[in-house]
Amino acid sequence: MDGLLNLWQATGIANLTFPALSMIAVGCGLLYLAIAKKFEPLLLVPIGFGAILTNIPVAALSEPGGLLYYVYYIGIDSGIFPLLIFMGVGALTDFSALIANPRMLLLGAAAQFGIFATLFGAILLNFIPGFEFTLQDASAIAIIGGADGPTAIFLASKLSPELLGAIAVAAYSYMALVPIIQPPIMRLLTSDEERSIAMPQLRVVSKREKILFPLMVLSLTLLFLPAAAPLVGMFCLGNLMRESGVVDRLSNTAQNELINITTIFLGLAVGSKLAADQFLTVETLGILVLGALAFSIGTASGVYMAKIMNRVSSNPINPLVGAAGVSAVPMAARVVNKVGLESNPHNFLLMHAMGPNVAGVLGSAVAAGILLALVN
Amino acid sequence: MEISELLAQAANLMLTGMIGVFLFLSILIFAVKALSKLAATEQESQQPATKKSSKPVSTGVPAAHVAAISAAVSQFRQKN
Repeated sequence: MDGLLNLWQATGIANLTFPALSMIAVGCGLLYLAIAKKFEPLLLVPIGFGAILTNIPVAALSEPGGLLYYVYYIGIDSGIFPLLIFMGVGALTDFSALIANPRMLLLGAAAQFGIFATLFGAILLNFIPGFEFTLQDASAIAIIGGADGPTAIFLASKLSPELLGAIAVAAYSYMALVPIIQPPIMRLLTSDEERSIAMPQLRVVSKREKILFPLMVLSLTLLFLPAAAPLVGMFCLGNLMRESGVVDRLSNTAQNELINITTIFLGLAVGSKLAADQFLTVETLGILVLGALAFSIGTASGVYMAKIMNRVSSNPINPLVGAAGVSAVPMAARVVNKVGLESNPHNFLLMHAMGPNVAGVLGSAVAAGILLALVN
Repeated sequence: MEISELLAQAANLMLTGMIGVFLFLSILIFAVKALSKLAATEQESQQPATKKSSKPVSTGVPAAHVAAISAAVSQFRQKN
């Protein structure tokens, strides 16, 4: 009889608590979004599954000794996984649109206002009882506005590990929602006339420029913002491998196999942080609201900056391309292209939007470096 | 810590952060422009040299041979 009782005690049914069950439901919800709605499936499948695994009672996969514990400890606590992904992103990024029109960097800078305004907003939330965000928490939440998954995870793991699960889920969910969040803001802030502005064709960029570009970004980081060196350094390494043309094998590995393997484990590790006691809090709700706010402000400030530049500059600039300043490569650029085509069916803005888009990646890495340097 | 104190810190961070991002990326703009000029001037000085070297290569293989080889390759591909 004792044996039977012990066996019963070892079953999931006997140990299942309500919070764990609701987190398993959250995991299933993420799986549903990924599989049925195709929302960032590459990440939400491992994250959702990780959330289910970590909440399985008795198995204790996220306790010291468990699989997910080690995956998290090795990959995210150390900051290695997001950096490996960033190297892959660097190897996937073509900077020629930006090198041809470097002023687009200003749009990538303006869109980072979403990050810093949200930082302020997160502290403001402290006036509502139940919220107690420190400056570290607020910075980690605000980086969602950078629309860059690996950067958000990297910064959250350094500044506010206990909020990492919610921040990563919010960052990736909103990146999937870019085509829904951005267009209304873009239409609201621009006139039909502005949206149909055609931009001059970009010049051809030489191979030499493309090879020197990552080295130059790296040397500026070395001189002015060493705190951003992990992110920018790995990004530039990936980009140099791509552009140098002599290590195609390494470049291909970085943008395919390595980024895929890392994504599996990164997703699992992020999912392992979706434990009930950390996720089912009022703070998660706050993070979701702030994340949407960060995205919207970033989009708006990018569009405004582009409007100002259009007035000042001799070459016409379509204000829509400013919205691509919130990285989210290449989704944001595609959204710009689509909204532009609605106003002028012959106006393809995709290549013009890629400039601010990749500038946004650099911008959010720089913003993350500044936050690390000032808040840590 | 008092919320008002935190707010002041956040406002400060917002200001320094935005100035920092703009400064860094503005420096990058100038650096990229300088890079483009450098690359353009070097290309100009190299152009005559590349023209000379490219001619013999193109005359090395007669056009008829190229056509014959490519026809053979496409025939081979169709068969397999």
